[in-house]
Amino acid sequence: MLASSAHVVRFPFRRPRAACRGLRALTGRTAPTPAYRAAVLGRILLAALGGYAVAALATGLLALVLPMPRSEAVTTATLTSFAVMVAVVVAVFAARSLARATALVLGLALPLAGGLWLAGAFTG
Amino acid sequence: MRQGFRQSMAWLHAWSGLLVGWVLFAVFVTGTASFYRSEISQWMRPELVATETDPGRAAERGAAYLQRQMPDAMGWFIELPTPEKPAIAVMWWKSMEGPFHQALLDPETGEPTSARATKGGDFLYRFHYELSMPPMLGRWIVGACTLVMLVALVSGIVTHRRIFADFFTFRRDRSTQRGWLDAHNVAGVLGLPFHLMIAYTGLTLLATLYMPWGVRTAYKGDEIRYFVEAGLMPDLRWAAGKPGTLTPLGPVVAASVARGGKAPEGLSVWNPGDANATVVAIFEEPHGLSHHHPQIAFDGQTGAVLGQAGAVGAATGTGTVMAGLHMGHFAGPALRVLFFLCGLMGAATVATGLVLWAVARAPKGAAPAGFGLRLVRALNLGTIAGLPAGVAAYFLANRLLPVGLSERASWEIGAFFAIWGLVALVGALRPGPRAWSQALGLVGALFLSVPPVAALTTGLNLPGGALRFLGFDLMMLALGLGFVVAARKAAARVGAPLRRPARDLTGEEALRA
Amino acid sequence: MTPLVVALNIALCFAGFAALALSLDRHHRDALAGRVPAGRALPMRAAGWALLALSLATAIAWEGWNFGPVQWIGALTGAGLLVVLVLSYRPVWLRPAALLALPLGLALLPAILLA
Repeated sequence: MLASSAHVVRFPFRRPRAACRGLRALTGRTAPTPAYRAAVLGRILLAALGGYAVAALATGLLALVLPMPRSEAVTTATLTSFAVMVAVVVAVFAARSLARATALVLGLALPLAGGLWLAGAFTG
Repeated sequence: MRQGFRQSMAWLHAWSGLLVGWVLFAVFVTGTASFYRSEISQWMRPELVATETDPGRAAERGAAYLQRQMPDAMGWFIELPTPEKPAIAVMWWKSMEGPFHQALLDPETGEPTSARATKGGDFLYRFHYELSMPPMLGRWIVGACTLVMLVALVSGIVTHRRIFADFFTFRRDRSTQRGWLDAHNVAGVLGLPFHLMIAYTGLTLLATLYMPWGVRTAYKGDEIRYFVEAGLMPDLRWAAGKPGTLTPLGPVVAASVARGGKAPEGLSVWNPGDANATVVAIFEEPHGLSHHHPQIAFDGQTGAVLGQAGAVGAATGTGTVMAGLHMGHFAGPALRVLFFLCGLMGAATVATGLVLWAVARAPKGAAPAGFGLRLVRALNLGTIAGLPAGVAAYFLANRLLPVGLSERASWEIGAFFAIWGLVALVGALRPGPRAWSQALGLVGALFLSVPPVAALTTGLNLPGGALRFLGFDLMMLALGLGFVVAARKAAARVGAPLRRPARDLTGEEALRA
Repeated sequence: MTPLVVALNIALCFAGFAALALSLDRHHRDALAGRVPAGRALPMRAAGWALLALSLATAIAWEGWNFGPVQWIGALTGAGLLVVLVLSYRPVWLRPAALLALPLGLALLPAILLA
């Protein structure tokens, strides 16, 4: 996809390619544009915060609703939470755009939060 | 689309790996050493020799010492002597926030031992998950890095298109970059079951710290209640606020032997000066994968049995097996060697990945390296050569520092950080083609000098025979020779034409090949 | 006992991995010259996987369902590393080494059974 002289793997985010090529011709290197930097930063924040939030909400909910003794439900939910977070992080970086990634995280977090609310976790 | 997915995973692998690589390397190296934590501690306290001590009397001697130190403590812990650690290790604390005081007592006298003051293997073990930082900060940093490591493993598997075709491939005679890539792939893929296991179980070991939300919703945050219900610890009693007299611990140990079948590993005493004092006998893990110490709780006034940590359910049992796999206590000598080897391969995977990142981005021809690349190179050398140099210095300091030095244990740790920092600093200030071979050669020399220094300082009048630490000496020699070979390879690389020069891969190809 | 079983596991895994490696043109060329003869690849792969499976079976037979698989995975890693090192530094030794590993592993059997 990239010209063979590129030495740095760039995140495949839509970017002004012509501008990049021009720069590369001048300097022999590519310099990330501010838009590119912002998009990467957005993904990192979404992956870290969104990923942890989804995992935390899933843990809290599963601990309440899994059909097993209370301590076993907590253990099961807690032990699986890290796999949940890894999956969300990978999905956030695999998504085609930041908007889709955001939609994915919200689409997971909101139902989980709703479930927790229904399970009475927020009422004390 | 598929291409895009693989490409984003390649990006994720390269950058997530770089972000946490230096911390992970340190965690892998010190964690791998921790498979031999008890052997390291023995070597670092050569004065201690195995003695036969009655566990009941040892417990009472420990309690007598603690009674003098802190009769109104929140908790005491008395670790009974074993052939591997023939001393009474005691700990005492006023609150769970610390500070946790500790001492090592002679089992014959109950007074602080005359063995040299050292943290032994425990320092490397604690560094492995706390990085010598404030405990909570260190644990969170290591936890975050471990999660990113899992992400890097998953994205690395996706990126590595030809896992099976390239399974055995190590083309060290092709281009530099191809060689590093193959080494990274081989170490990563061959050790993959171990890498996945060790990362995931590392997180689950501190699961309720990182992910307390299940305990929060189901137990309103009462972690103790959760542990008790899960069968991980016996029910404890709160302090009554009235003074009491602690029962002698000898009969408690005898009762533990009668009930548990053998002497406990240690005793914890909660609120020793209170009417509601509780003594918990903690036993060695039964034979099996699981890391779960059976426990029996006794009334601290009467010595009556209060309860015991019960059987655990399937999920909690899975958790204790995960913990057991991470620590590898169950492994006999042969399996422990394989665990050690896997740990080294983990460190090698991280190190080769870090080097590959820099090699793939090296400017062509005479173009100057940018600041970012120079920084990565400096950190690579500073960590990959610096940390092992620090470990060797830690061992050397143990033999070279005077036994009577005050704050001796801290000086040993100071030597660890000083040599690590020195290697990193020199490498950063004098980068160049020879920096790697010189730094690795220094590490090799440091490790090779450990056995002779030990022989000259303590070896000749070593209690228990001059060959008592043969295994440790051989390991130091093997490590030293390994680093010397690495230094020679690094020196040969400088300026030498490759036998079969091939076109260098681009960074992207390197990641996807 | 356990160290001997580990050694047997490693020997079987080494022979199995060697068979798998020699069923690939790239390594066959280095270790034995030429491409894998037609019709040879499939039986070699079958033999390789069978040896790996046999190693797992012996690990479970002697170490049980909990320790066995753990020990086997350790043996897999150790044996895989050996194969890679032999292929990289002394490729022509791979076949003789694998052919030697099998009887050596079997020679351990009496010791394991008697222990």
